[in-house]
Amino acid sequence: MNDDTDLGAPEAEPLWESTVNGRPVRLRVPQAKRLLDIVREDLGLTGTKRSCEIGRCGACMVLLDGAPVNACLTMAYQCAGRDVVTIEGIAGEEELHPVQRAFLEEGGYQCGYCTPGMIVSVKALLDAIPDPSPEEAEEALSGNLCRCTGYGGILRSVLRAIEKGRGGS
Amino acid sequence: MRLNRENSGARWRMRPDGPDKVTGSLAYLTDLTAPGMLHGLVLRSPHPHARIAAVRTDAARRLPGVAAVLTGRDVPGLNRFGIARQDQPVFCEDRVRYVGDAVAAVAADSLESARRALELIEVEYEPLPLLDDPEQALRPEAPPLHPEGNVLHAKTYRTGDAGPVFASCAHIVEETYRTPRQMHAYMETEGGLFVPGPEGGLTVYAPTQHGRMDRLQLSRILAMPEERIRVVSSPIGGSFGGKDELNVQPYGALLALASGRPVRIHNSRRESVRAGLKRHPMIIRMKTGTDANGRILAHRVSIVADTGPYASLGAEVLNFATEHAVSAYRFGCVDAESVSVFTNNGMSGEFRGFGGNQAVFALEGQMDRLADALGMDPWEFRRLNLKTADEPGPFGQPIARTDGAAKAWAALAGSRLWRERSAVRTPQAEVPLASSSAAADARDAGTALRRRIAADSAAPVSAGGEADPPWRKIGIGAAMVMHGAGLGFGIPDPSGGRLALRQDGKIEAAFGFEECGQGLIATLEQMMIERFGFAADDIRIVIGDSDAVPDSGSSTASRATSMMWRALGLLERPFTEKLLEAAAKACGRPSRLLGLGEGGIRDLETGERIVAYEALAGRQKEPIVCEAATRYPAADTDIVGAHFLYSYAAVAAKVEIDGLTGRVRVLEQFHAVAAGPVMNPQGYLGQIEGGSAMALGYALLEEAAMRRGQYVTNNFDTYLIPTIADAGGPVEVAAIEDLPEGDEHGPRGVGEIGSVGLAAAIASAVRHAAGAWIDRLPIDPALLQEARPFEKAAVIGDE
Repeated sequence: MNDDTDLGAPEAEPLWESTVNGRPVRLRVPQAKRLLDIVREDLGLTGTKRSCEIGRCGACMVLLDGAPVNACLTMAYQCAGRDVVTIEGIAGEEELHPVQRAFLEEGGYQCGYCTPGMIVSVKALLDAIPDPSPEEAEEALSGNLCRCTGYGGILRSVLRAIEKGRGGS
Repeated sequence: MRLNRENSGARWRMRPDGPDKVTGSLAYLTDLTAPGMLHGLVLRSPHPHARIAAVRTDAARRLPGVAAVLTGRDVPGLNRFGIARQDQPVFCEDRVRYVGDAVAAVAADSLESARRALELIEVEYEPLPLLDDPEQALRPEAPPLHPEGNVLHAKTYRTGDAGPVFASCAHIVEETYRTPRQMHAYMETEGGLFVPGPEGGLTVYAPTQHGRMDRLQLSRILAMPEERIRVVSSPIGGSFGGKDELNVQPYGALLALASGRPVRIHNSRRESVRAGLKRHPMIIRMKTGTDANGRILAHRVSIVADTGPYASLGAEVLNFATEHAVSAYRFGCVDAESVSVFTNNGMSGEFRGFGGNQAVFALEGQMDRLADALGMDPWEFRRLNLKTADEPGPFGQPIARTDGAAKAWAALAGSRLWRERSAVRTPQAEVPLASSSAAADARDAGTALRRRIAADSAAPVSAGGEADPPWRKIGIGAAMVMHGAGLGFGIPDPSGGRLALRQDGKIEAAFGFEECGQGLIATLEQMMIERFGFAADDIRIVIGDSDAVPDSGSSTASRATSMMWRALGLLERPFTEKLLEAAAKACGRPSRLLGLGEGGIRDLETGERIVAYEALAGRQKEPIVCEAATRYPAADTDIVGAHFLYSYAAVAAKVEIDGLTGRVRVLEQFHAVAAGPVMNPQGYLGQIEGGSAMALGYALLEEAAMRRGQYVTNNFDTYLIPTIADAGGPVEVAAIEDLPEGDEHGPRGVGEIGSVGLAAAIASAVRHAAGAWIDRLPIDPALLQEARPFEKAAVIGDE
């Protein structure tokens, strides 16, 4: 713990350095500032959504060194010097990531508010396990709540993304 | 038709709002910021019922960074709101009636300063007696929460004296059903950005299901003409009825006008739970009797609904529940008496299904119990008592004729899932569970995951698999649903839309509807393409902005798809004629030889493009515009709330019960939905699948529990909605599109019907599996746990 008491004084803040979506970022932020607030407020990356703020819904899921974490539970000091990828960093320069294309083709979203976090979790899952079993898929995605779709479209999107990963259409 | 991507062919389209949703680039209204903006917060009552003795805001006002501190004295217009009845205070002045009641609001230059300012507001409360039970609130000695007492609304529908008829019944079933306070649990909590205009006007960016209604309500509160308020209301991160009523808008608007600066408000989840609407908890008593052959002779219904502290749409929900406690069945005699009661519990109001969810759970429970008493097949018992197409509606009113009920019934009767039911013995089914073990046999996801989600390849219940533990039970149940759409008789239900060829060559379709996620934009685009032959690129959809759209009415009551179809039907001829006449003038050919097509006007014979829309637009001095005004069809009756258009669904569910934990898992669902032609296959499927997941939560998980007027479930750690692991089983949706010849009403909406029937079907399946009758939701696992399981041989096994 540091002994900063005046969180309002910017000059008192330590330098936070990380890589966000492949770009180096340097900010002066409180050590305990949530990554959710850093990406939304300081970096203007509003694709990461705020919903439950207690790590239950997954709307704020981002990748930290490739692993999915809830940005609402991650503080600045916990991700300093690490590699952060938000939904804005998932697509390639030219085209969407196959997981994003799969969601579009299967209609794996409705209101779309859970979608960025969901896609981040699906990408993390398929990066780790290209051919997940139903149990593995459920385990990996059960931290992402969706109130609109009933998950049918999401599971079909996952299946399609797996097929794309195999070189299918 | 089995609804899926494969069967839909080219009609399965990518949603126009999809790319921005999957990349995170879509700006929701709660993502917006403005230079120099303030942060707004609302101070709410900690007491469910108290007198306000004093409010002191001096210390809060003095805090640096605080730009505005408002109380009831600062409301220039009406200090009340409510879609139907304006009885909910913007700011309470002398009394609070629930823990979401607002007393003050602040705007400050940081969220931290706003929080500190809230803490500095001193409110002296004198607690008043708590009314947290609707039945107690009905007693004569109960203190009145409002001058007119504790009854918001009473509804009676009686076709005769049921008393003597019951005396002649061979079988009578009496039951009391209780349903929970369900939370909408939209992922985006309420919020928005409120920007004062340079000359005293205001722009509101806040999600709502009816932007023009918000504008009207804000106009009353702010004492500002409607024309000076612009409401931008889409896109919305989920609503389900929960954002139709005003929520943070009055506070954001008042703070922005008081401070002269943009104000942002975005509710925390906790505040959303505390202040927001929920589905009405209801106590539904039913007594239903049949003759010896199974014909229903009499049906008595009594409903007590807990509407919370203020009206919102409690009266309308009660009317709907009463109507749907009768639904599609032929009762010799109906005697229904319902009441919606004020309490100091949380606010109840509009929620997808609108009272039908509660009523159908009770009514279908009666149907199963009566069939059981008669020794009849429960589905056959329903057929015997279903009304035919020519019979009147639930309130005896004339309704649009369809065979939807019979067709949905037959689709379920012929479904694989229902036929499978005969293989399952009741109540102690000893059938191996094949589906969970089947999943483990293949690592190859293409097989295993597909099996998990595709009904046609789901492992059937069959003998011969590996031995299944005796505490696992399987059951299959079903329910019928009839669901009225539109606002019903006696409530103005206007709609309309506008088509225009704009200067930039875009065909603009403008409607006063909202995109809550249901796919309204996609459905409208698809209707424009399929009706007129335009390409997607030719079209611009304009919704969700009160300055830019005509009055279409609310995006509620499963009405928007119907109304867009109707308005486009009215606009098709005049708009086409105007475009073709303009093209005829431009190219010097007779308009009868021309037609609309992709990219421009075409020669009907050769298909050759004669003039592009952009070029055509460039030649016009004025845009070509057609506007249509219409209204949702209403029944010819004098019963307020009675509907004219209904859709029907038959729903089957297969469940697995673990007798050790009492937990119910839904393994598979079948939905036959008769709602007219499918306008947008992806949207239709999504509505039924998504609605049914909500019903699954209603049946098994969800209750916004309250103790002494306080929520005890404040976030998703204790209020559990289905996860992918709870709701991922195969769901087959069969769309029954037929309508009788000459039907003028086209597609019926499907926004709600998917959320209604599954809870009743799950309760029915639980009875089938375990022999327990369910009279209360969510289903309590303790009821299904075998007594003292660790003393039972089942656990130890046969060794």
